[in-house]
Amino acid sequence: MKKRFLQGICLRIIYKGFARWILKLFVGVRFSDCSCLKKEDQFIIVANHNSHLDTISLLASLPGSLLWKVKPVAAEDYFGNTRLKAAFSNYFINTLLIQRKGVKEEENHPLTKMLTALEQGYSLILFPEGTRGEAEKMDRIKPGIARLLAARPGLKYVPVYLSGMGRSLPKGKILILPYQASVNYGVPTLPVNNDPVQILEQIQVDFDNMAALYSLASEEED
Amino acid sequence: MKHYVELIFPALSDELITVITLIIGLLLAVSIILFVTKKVFPGIDLQESTSRIRSWWIMSAIFIGAVFINYTLSYICLAFLSFIAFRELYSVLGFRESDRRAIFWSLLAIPVQYYLAYIAWYGAYIIFIPVVMFLLLPLGMVLKGETKGITKSMALLQWILMLSVFGISHLAYLLSLPEQDGFNAGGRGLLMFLVFLTEINDIMQYICGKVFGKHKIIPKISPNKTWEGFIGGVVCTILTGYLLAFLTPLSTGQVVWISAFIAIAGFTGDLVISAIKRDKGLKDLGETIPGHGGVFDRIDSLAYTAPVFFHLIYYIAY
Repeated sequence: MKKRFLQGICLRIIYKGFARWILKLFVGVRFSDCSCLKKEDQFIIVANHNSHLDTISLLASLPGSLLWKVKPVAAEDYFGNTRLKAAFSNYFINTLLIQRKGVKEEENHPLTKMLTALEQGYSLILFPEGTRGEAEKMDRIKPGIARLLAARPGLKYVPVYLSGMGRSLPKGKILILPYQASVNYGVPTLPVNNDPVQILEQIQVDFDNMAALYSLASEEED
Repeated sequence: MKHYVELIFPALSDELITVITLIIGLLLAVSIILFVTKKVFPGIDLQESTSRIRSWWIMSAIFIGAVFINYTLSYICLAFLSFIAFRELYSVLGFRESDRRAIFWSLLAIPVQYYLAYIAWYGAYIIFIPVVMFLLLPLGMVLKGETKGITKSMALLQWILMLSVFGISHLAYLLSLPEQDGFNAGGRGLLMFLVFLTEINDIMQYICGKVFGKHKIIPKISPNKTWEGFIGGVVCTILTGYLLAFLTPLSTGQVVWISAFIAIAGFTGDLVISAIKRDKGLKDLGETIPGHGGVFDRIDSLAYTAPVFFHLIYYIAY
């Protein structure tokens, strides 16, 4: 893995220079401290997914020095359906594009692609629900993340609970409406063992605990 | 060069410099007392007081900065304050997804309201939210066609707009009041007077309540509000108002009863927001200011004192 200086600077300017401040001041996003990530060599950030703001907020929350080597995993059918769009996402969002459905060749399989990126030394941001879904509701986690962690023993995952993003920018809306939201970091954790079923359960428990702490669902309409 | 400095930091009158010195002196005194208490009695837990006073330093610095730099910037800072307060309120009070358009319209109303204050067009300023937005916002919701819960949304949105934008924008209009002969402090003096008295009232009610508090006023809403605290707050506010009378164009007698009004209005604002938080099961509205909660937790009483003070002084002196 070669350090990409120019892209690193670009990402820093975009996410630490602009996005973070706009999110903080106007959208009202609160970032929890995540300096513990600096101590980790490699990790997978696992977050719930409700809005396009999720990826931007996560990138804006990361320490600037790590930005260039943390790749958000994104759907190719959405972010890379034209070559221009793919190049744009890959450079300015630093995405790792995967195909969500109907993959035949082994080399293009999402898991293979993610493992290759991990092999190269990148860290990943993964939304294991697979899609944004309904605002402020968390779907069940899909098993891909567990298989990934099982295939790379010793790799830590960091659960991150995003709350309120789905209200600022729900699926299908273009206009961002400022709403208080927060990015809540959990602790970098090692999977219990190599069994995907148990890893999946472990992550689900982490998220259930964080949801109880940070979820907005209780404040909604009775 | 001097021209630009004057543009950003206009010359301050002596009255204002006195008050700034007073604020910094007070903060210093409290900080020193806290520091000494911590050294002498290491056992006492002063975590909350320490983080509160630190936040007070920051808030005072921002406030003094925002008011005493260029006038135009003061309006922008106050508008931003309204925006944050408004956002805090609608974020926690439970709106429907179909209210997004109406909320967006009300956000657009913030710059308009403050612009009207800036150009000092009193007639438009005073009706814009109570009349124009009042009639317009329900339309934004109706056009969406979703009727379930619409009554509550209509009422709630208008209410928080009145409180956090209309109420707070009276601070900005104080700056637009015309100059008067023989009254040097000007709009800034009035703004300073109002904010200082409101905050003193909050603090003294809290302290007197802690020290002397016995008889609760409305225990169901706020167990910390006692008659002793309330009366202590009113007395201290009147005293402070009497001492700071040079910031206003009022006679001594007028200052005394207007200060009393500020104290009572501040108390009411505090109670109203407490009741809402209790209904929603929240301790604070946000977590923006360490030790205080959200921005609106801090300025809830200002949303009440600002219109009361403004209209009294507008009636008496302008």
